[in-house]
Amino acid sequence: MIAARAGIRLVQDRIAALRRAVVGEVEDTNRLIYHVLRGGVLVSVAVLLFGFILVGAKSAALPDHSVPPRSLIPQLVQFTPAGFLSLGVLVLIATPMVRVLLSLLSFAEDGDRTYVLMTGIVLVNLLISVFLLA
Amino acid sequence: MSPVEVLLLLALAAFFAGLGGSYLGIGGGVFLVPFMTLVLAVDIKRAIATSLIGVIATSSGAASVYVRDHLTNLRLAMFLEVATTIGAITGALVALLVPAVFLYVTFGAVVLYAAATMVRVRETAKERSYRGGEEEPPLVKRLSLNSVYFDQEDQAVYRYRVDRPGAGFGVSAAAGLFSGLLGVGGGFIKVPAMNILMRVPMKAAVATSNFMIGVTAAASAFIYYSQGLVDPSLAAMVIIGVFTGTNLGTRLLVRAKAANVRFVFAIFLAALGIAMAVRALGFSGVV
Repeated sequence: MIAARAGIRLVQDRIAALRRAVVGEVEDTNRLIYHVLRGGVLVSVAVLLFGFILVGAKSAALPDHSVPPRSLIPQLVQFTPAGFLSLGVLVLIATPMVRVLLSLLSFAEDGDRTYVLMTGIVLVNLLISVFLLA
Repeated sequence: MSPVEVLLLLALAAFFAGLGGSYLGIGGGVFLVPFMTLVLAVDIKRAIATSLIGVIATSSGAASVYVRDHLTNLRLAMFLEVATTIGAITGALVALLVPAVFLYVTFGAVVLYAAATMVRVRETAKERSYRGGEEEPPLVKRLSLNSVYFDQEDQAVYRYRVDRPGAGFGVSAAAGLFSGLLGVGGGFIKVPAMNILMRVPMKAAVATSNFMIGVTAAASAFIYYSQGLVDPSLAAMVIIGVFTGTNLGTRLLVRAKAANVRFVFAIFLAALGIAMAVRALGFSGVV
């Protein structure tokens, strides 16, 4: 009984330590931006490579037209090469957008109103580009 | 050329665009667009769209490392991105409306200008370091744009102040416009502007420009995407090639001197610019 409790305590301590480490890292905006940008590119490259594998596996032709965002999900469900190649491209386009959103949150956390406003304008510009012709 | 040959050549070109781009603080588009149109015979609007995707990849890959190494001035980037994103959206909308020949001519001119700046700009980190005692512009104070960066070359921290924020903002809007219009990052406009006009040290200017380029290109890339101008196979090869190139390029910048690479790149760009101009003349029936 005591041993079990000690065991649980040990696990809880470990989780708390991990959490502190993650939060500590997140507090450094530079580190966070590094991981978002790097992670976005890595995910994009992985999805694209999978798309090319599908081209080989299905011996399909190389797609030359991207999939419009609204018909992306059906294409992904059917595992089409065009679907995954388009998804990889969209992940890459979204990466800097996510970075701006995180910058906004980080300026908000610092209570830096001027920069919240400025980052907000950039984010609105990006959203305009997404919805302008879609 | 078979489609597979086109893709492999493009991946190779993208590798060099990523390598040179991350090294020189540009997106690599000034090189990718002429290569795609002249060598691979890709339609210029599709080439611009594909190049923008490559620019985002260069920026994200290189910027991440520079941000981690505290070379990037995040506040300055945020301030100037307001201008570049507005410029980029405008540029993309103009590009969709104008005939291809206009894009060829503008591109030729812009690339020649880029080649010229690249020869002129020198490494000036030490000359541009902090000068105390003078009054700083009120906008710089209000936005706390002044910053420090760590130079690995001589293991020292350089503190610098930013000058002429208004002029820098205007130039950034123009750089954004060219980015959306021509599928380039616009680093060849922003790096000299930040370095000479705003007195940001060269390495910090390269890192900050690289950082801004991704957001700028993303603003116009989606407009091209929604118009069906992004060829996913071409874009995918560009991303993979650029990704490999930036991984090498960022490792080079932290240590090396960019002067030699810059010179080779400039000559290369001048040749591409002339080729684009010749192509444009051929289009309008002069040649």
